[in-house]
Amino acid sequence: MPFAGVDIGSTMTKAVIVDGYGIIVASVIGPTGAEHRHLALAVMDETIKKAKLRFEQLDFIVATGYGRINVPFADKQITEITCHARSIRTLFPTARILIDIGGQDSKGIKLDAEGKVMNFVMNDKCAAGTGRFLEVIAETLGIKLNEMGELSLKAKDYVRISNTCTVFAEHEVTTKLTEGATIPEIVAGLHEAFASRVVNMVRSLGIEKDVVVTGGGAMNVGLIKAVEEKVGFPVLVPPEPLLTGALGAAFMGMDLLARGVTSERERRLEGVTFFK
Amino acid sequence: MSDDQEYYAGVDIGSAFIKAVLINQKQIIAYGILSSRGSYNETAKRVLDQALSKGRLSLDKLSGIVVTGVGAESAPFQARQFSEISCQAAGCRFLFPSARIVIDIGGQFTRAIKLTAQGRVANFLMSEKCATGSGRFLQVIARILRIKIEDIGPLSLKSQKPVEFSTNCAVFAESETISRIAEGARTEDILAGVHRALAAKVAMLVKRLKMEHDVVLTGGGAEDAGLVLSVSEALGVEVLVPEQPRLTAALGAAMLAREQRPGTR
Repeated sequence: MPFAGVDIGSTMTKAVIVDGYGIIVASVIGPTGAEHRHLALAVMDETIKKAKLRFEQLDFIVATGYGRINVPFADKQITEITCHARSIRTLFPTARILIDIGGQDSKGIKLDAEGKVMNFVMNDKCAAGTGRFLEVIAETLGIKLNEMGELSLKAKDYVRISNTCTVFAEHEVTTKLTEGATIPEIVAGLHEAFASRVVNMVRSLGIEKDVVVTGGGAMNVGLIKAVEEKVGFPVLVPPEPLLTGALGAAFMGMDLLARGVTSERERRLEGVTFFK
Repeated sequence: MSDDQEYYAGVDIGSAFIKAVLINQKQIIAYGILSSRGSYNETAKRVLDQALSKGRLSLDKLSGIVVTGVGAESAPFQARQFSEISCQAAGCRFLFPSARIVIDIGGQFTRAIKLTAQGRVANFLMSEKCATGSGRFLQVIARILRIKIEDIGPLSLKSQKPVEFSTNCAVFAESETISRIAEGARTEDILAGVHRALAAKVAMLVKRLKMEHDVVLTGGGAEDAGLVLSVSEALGVEVLVPEQPRLTAALGAAMLAREQRPGTR
């Protein structure tokens, strides 16, 4: 009994197939492009192949993420807040706060003891505190986004970045460089500024143990360290932090089927391979 | 040239441009302006020299210098320091005695100043946290569109259908611009859209100060005819623009240098 979840995020599109026990059978992560529909199909197709399944064997497909309406083959669309919370409930039953740091937004979700969503906050208005902030400045510094975490751990101290705005911080960083600051110190400073912005946003929810961090930001060890310094205790990170939304979507499909909701859609293979 | 003449200089060390204005007891004599690249103090010296040589003067002929702007600390000459707000107000009340609101759209900041009927600073607000409220927003988008800053204004005036941005963040607007170009949006419509977004931020500042007539627009932003139009539309009044909108703070600084000398007026 396989279930699929597709998460079209602002930067990455993710697909997960789980079996009837909720174990991940296959997953695919690809960049989000302008053509959401094409992308959703391509990523789903690849995941099905990896799982050695046929499209019509999928019991339920749930789409989530900001591009979820562009998944025409999904049985249901569910918000990413619900899907994230759903997978975290299974992965970390003790979680009360979830911080998801995405490519172009970041959100904080408060969960009750049963893992239900009590409240959430979100920033998608300003690039500061989203992956975009680090992406822009990595380019200015001539380093790779995925190197920033390790790089920042080499710094003994961090350089304080006083600008919140990404555009202004970009300028501040080049000034700091000319003043003799090292790249690791600057990157550590960027993580500090980033963590402070995200944690301050989540503070309005009331920070409680345990805190889970997901999204692309959770793959940055330096950022995780900075978040831990801000919240004052260690945080939890899932092994596949990019997949929590898609995984939650697949779990939601499982839950729906368990409640007797079945897919009414006729699975048509050509729908998937149409663009290939 | 008679020796009983007294000369004063105002130097504005801004984040994008350094400006100097020379005045005597009666009028403006000369000015200098250079982009702030490299070291502030070297450029400031060159700008002042530029103005002095245009006015056929030398540093020792000056009775007083006032320096202002983000780089005022690094002025390479003996000078008194005044805030940009005081200088901007002084320059604008000289040029436009009817001014009650002065909006200065600079390279990095936007400032809105409220003046009393006597031309004193009653209150002011700054937008310094977010690039969308400043000239930087235009620079970011102009770079993507491969448009020269000075071409933005004339081009944007051709717009028939300004693009409406879904975001208020310059960084997100940058990627939105790229998708809009891909969708076939016209350059002038994108620029006009940026002007509207910027003007909306400016109007918010003015609203917080409480709007009054007349409104003067200064800074590099005032050289952009499209932005002047958008700000006028956002505020619902025709804004006044000085002939040399970048120089008003330096002019005000020179005025303040003159005021500092008792008995010279």
